[in-house]
Amino acid sequence: MGWKRKKDEVEGDDGFVGGGDNQRKRKKATAAATEPKEKREILPSMIKNKEKRSAVHAKLKQQKKLEKRKKLKDRDAAEKRALELGEEPPPKKIPRTIENTREFDETVCRPDDEELYAGNECDEFSSVLKRESTPKILITTCRFNSTRGPAFISELLEVIPNSHYYRRGTYDLKKIVEYANHREFTSVIIVHTNRREPDALLIIGLPDGPTAHFKLSKLVLRKDIKNHGNPTSHEPELVLTNFTTRLGHRIGRLIQSLFPQAPNFRGRRVVTFHNQRDFIFFRHHRYIFESKESKHTDSKDKKMKNGKGEEVSQEKVIARLQECGPRFTLKLVSLQHGTFDTKGGEYEWVHKPEMDTSRRRFFL
Amino acid sequence: MPRTTTVESPGCPPFRALTFDVLGLVKVVEARGKQGGVPKVVERWGEPESRNCVLAASIDGCKRNPMLAVARKCGKIELLDPLNGDTRVVISDAIDTKPEDDPIIGLHVFRRERTEERSSRSCTLLSCTTKGNAVMRSFEVTDSPEDCVSTSTTNKWNVCAAGSVLCCKVDGSENYAVAGGKGVELNIWDLDKCSRMWTAKSPPKNNLGIFTPTWFTSATFLCKDDHRKVVAGTNSRQVRLYDISAQRRPVLSFDFRETPIKAVTEDIDGYTVYVGNGSGDLASFDMRTGKLLGCFLGKCSGSIRYISRHPDFPVIASCGLDSYLRLWDVKSRQLLSAVFLKQHLNSVLFDSGFADEEPVQNARDVTENEAQRHRVDETQYEDGTLLVKRKKKKKKKTHEEGRDHKTSGKENGGIEKLNRKKKIKRVKTLADDDAL
Repeated sequence: MGWKRKKDEVEGDDGFVGGGDNQRKRKKATAAATEPKEKREILPSMIKNKEKRSAVHAKLKQQKKLEKRKKLKDRDAAEKRALELGEEPPPKKIPRTIENTREFDETVCRPDDEELYAGNECDEFSSVLKRESTPKILITTCRFNSTRGPAFISELLEVIPNSHYYRRGTYDLKKIVEYANHREFTSVIIVHTNRREPDALLIIGLPDGPTAHFKLSKLVLRKDIKNHGNPTSHEPELVLTNFTTRLGHRIGRLIQSLFPQAPNFRGRRVVTFHNQRDFIFFRHHRYIFESKESKHTDSKDKKMKNGKGEEVSQEKVIARLQECGPRFTLKLVSLQHGTFDTKGGEYEWVHKPEMDTSRRRFFL
Repeated sequence: MPRTTTVESPGCPPFRALTFDVLGLVKVVEARGKQGGVPKVVERWGEPESRNCVLAASIDGCKRNPMLAVARKCGKIELLDPLNGDTRVVISDAIDTKPEDDPIIGLHVFRRERTEERSSRSCTLLSCTTKGNAVMRSFEVTDSPEDCVSTSTTNKWNVCAAGSVLCCKVDGSENYAVAGGKGVELNIWDLDKCSRMWTAKSPPKNNLGIFTPTWFTSATFLCKDDHRKVVAGTNSRQVRLYDISAQRRPVLSFDFRETPIKAVTEDIDGYTVYVGNGSGDLASFDMRTGKLLGCFLGKCSGSIRYISRHPDFPVIASCGLDSYLRLWDVKSRQLLSAVFLKQHLNSVLFDSGFADEEPVQNARDVTENEAQRHRVDETQYEDGTLLVKRKKKKKKKTHEEGRDHKTSGKENGGIEKLNRKKKIKRVKTLADDDAL
């Protein structure tokens, strides 16, 4: 106890000294407002009085903001001047992002890799992707399922052509896989719901394809999207972006094998799977090409006059997008070799905590 | 600033490993240099084709005339030259069943020293298929690959009546083989008489009365010169130790993690085993006590299909579905290096005849002891010259060596190695004294 009190006393002393410092600092801080060089020495975190600290902090922040605005203004002015003088404007700086500075990954696919193509030739999806067989999808749920789950499934059925919903009942997943194998389905999708909210997606390739387990989040159904459109029953076009590594390539092919390989372009329907930082974003759009020639083109003309010729602006075609269908985000949890088997399965890839040592490491 | 973590590679000892993948490619990975050698793919044999998928491989790494046997998915067994990849012999099973229905899962090339009385060109092979058809054949290898199939003797027998065999191994003395699988209890066979010596008995029901069906996924003999102790891994994530001389039920059994055991390999010290499972966990166990010695951590994300122990250096190699060949230090359990090989790998083997000399042919003639002595000399020399520069490093190293020394002091078998280490240590301490 005695020792503790002593420590307290020491701390009190410190506090007192600190208070003294504070006063000095306050003077310094007021001085610092005029001289930015002085300010560098006293960080707000060193001030112990909270009110003072927050005041200094706010001031600092305000100053930074002003500086930044000034810098932007200068840059814009420089660009404008260069344009007026007919010079080359200063090169635009590329911001440093996490994706830019991604850790070097030797598993990224290269276009000149013949082993990659040979591997593609003989993997599980090649029969579907080479159009030797048409994809036929079975969609089912987990055992308990209500509200958002069925709504999501009904929208998935519209997104994926030739997909069939089967009620789950109380069947084992392995039995369902067996059944689907007999009926010549090419994939099984299971939507897992938890607390009436879909939270996982399981895609099983058949007959011996891999099993991918995704975490599903940020689900927005069609009716919650503003100005949504209603999809037609044409075969959609598929856009897969940023699946770069071997694992990503494989996941991309797994997703690709869900859709028919001959899109009907008259339908003008696009399904997008966009990978960014290992999250796969799903979007479903309708697009239309509109050629605008009325007053809109006139206004465009004025802008374009100095740049390009008039004919180009006359036949100006604009692509407009309308979102329809669900919107969700997937994240890969595991990829299993063979069909669903939790007990005896071999994993091709499992996420492990020891892989999360860097923010700049991505697997897809 | 973007911080990129680089793999701190302590460097591998010189080695040469052969990896076998699902496209039927054989890749040769070599590391050269005394310390800090970075392993690289130096050669690739074969054309990528899925029906050539390698199912099993075995190597006889004797000094002269080494031999490599590879079993492929299309039912062929190929004998290759592990030095340059030339095909010596191709054996295709003339069985009326399709090879896809009955793939080969176990393959073993017998060492040539055993059959000394015959000419050095003869070769003996044991292969075992999923349905339990074990075939032992010996034949003459001629120089031209066309007229080679002169099978002198074949010995066929059936390992199991029902179920499917998933693992098959031959012991160090090459007189006994063990086989087990899904619905097949562990069997030990006498290869001279082709008769079954011993069968395991499944463990009793647990306290809830639940019986776990037999499903062995991997097996290995514990010691090189003792065929009585067998370690097996099961699909129900158990590792079991069987002792033939004691009882038919496992002497020791313990669980490892959550997914089935896929690979079990013994160490040369006679009691350590390395266990790999379906989700990429690798660990070493002491089979005398059943205690976990430690896990090998290194971002390994795919199922481990094969583990192999280097015959001389304390290094193991693991490979599997994440298509990396990983090399680990046995003592510190550190990842030494990882090589990306693009396909799912089925097996990896060390070429024991490889020594780190530029002309490989010469290296074969140098005996291993000499090579080792050479290595020690070199380290000594280096210590002498580069003393001042590497003072700090060395201190760490001596510390490590000391730890190694402690752990290896427990061993009974590795006396020779220990002596070598002592020598190194002595050299280093001397050098340190000089520096001070």
